Amino acid sequence: MLNVPKHTAALANVIVVVLAVVANAQSKPAGQIPRAADGKPDLSGFWDNPKEPGSRGPATTFNKEKMAPFVPGGEALFYEPRTGDPRHDEPRAFCMPSGFPSAFLGPYPIQMIQTPQYLVMQTEFMNVTRIIPLDGRPHKADIEPTFYGEPIGRWEGDTLVIEAKNYKRWSLDDYYYQNPKEYRMHTEALRTIERLRRTDADTISYEFTVDDPKIFTKPWSVQWEMKRHAEWAKTGLYEMVCNENNRCEGGKCRDTK
Amino acid sequence: MRIRLLAMTLGLLAGTAPFLLAHHSFSAEYDSNQPVKVTGVVTKVEWQNPHIWFFVDVKDAQGKVTNWGFSGGPPGVLQRRGITRSALKTGDTVIVEGFRARDGSNNASGGKVTFADGRSVFTASNEDTAPR
Repeated sequence: MLNVPKHTAALANVIVVVLAVVANAQSKPAGQIPRAADGKPDLSGFWDNPKEPGSRGPATTFNKEKMAPFVPGGEALFYEPRTGDPRHDEPRAFCMPSGFPSAFLGPYPIQMIQTPQYLVMQTEFMNVTRIIPLDGRPHKADIEPTFYGEPIGRWEGDTLVIEAKNYKRWSLDDYYYQNPKEYRMHTEALRTIERLRRTDADTISYEFTVDDPKIFTKPWSVQWEMKRHAEWAKTGLYEMVCNENNRCEGGKCRDTK
Repeated sequence: MRIRLLAMTLGLLAGTAPFLLAHHSFSAEYDSNQPVKVTGVVTKVEWQNPHIWFFVDVKDAQGKVTNWGFSGGPPGVLQRRGITRSALKTGDTVIVEGFRARDGSNNASGGKVTFADGRSVFTASNEDTAPR
């Protein structure tokens, strides 16, 4: 046994670990995914919004062809006509929240920070943060529904499954951008299931399932992906504050020139 | 030159996909049937969220001056594209193209800004350049 001072031995161990990590990073074959210290795939980093694989555009709306048929009365709950009242027709113009998933579908960067206990997912769009426990705990009963719902994650092998409930009735996506006459809404019965799997160093496969039994006969899914943008780490997410200078809310401009 | 390259890049982006960078529906606040194109001098720049605003004094044939307000993209989005607040300064002469506010006031989306020397900068979200 060599007589090495304890702190020197500890330092040597650290160096060995660091060298091993560096060697691992350098020799990592294409397709190998980064893993956290607990062995789980590490989703941390900067990502663009979930969208169709290969698409350059945003996935701000769901593809109608992917949706399940309506239950009787479901269509009337899904497509909500505008009323002419801007507070109803365009609540975001008054800085009301977009809700989930809408806020995370637009063309803004998303930062994820993963620990063994939580996945933190923040979009630059209005700085909305989801703090998602990863212990698969049961959803709360009898709580007030919210715009962003109650997401709870669990690992199924290398796939992170996030199931969310307790949503307030609100817009499902950004369809009203395309059709100013009506919204696509979900009900308070909405359950969303996200399945995130890091398929390579730069890609997350992102399957999104909508289960709203008051509107659709069965759950339906879309297959999206998210692409990594390491360069966004240089500046981080920018601040976006809706109420700072929201001059034309609801089409009525404040004239403070 | 840097600005011109940026403008070209943004133009390509605008041509390929309907980027929706506003926090609201374009049609709720602006009227795509009322295009606006003015030439004037920048009097004020508000480089703030959720959209930058800038104001332009426009002189008509009789010499009467009207101050117009134009909205652009969010500062963070513009900054990520390399467009900072120094791109637009008080006293600059600009040509602005956009769409008038629904309330009929002298406010509009400012889809495209061109400087006197021909440099062109998109300040608005792409939906402002291609409304539906």
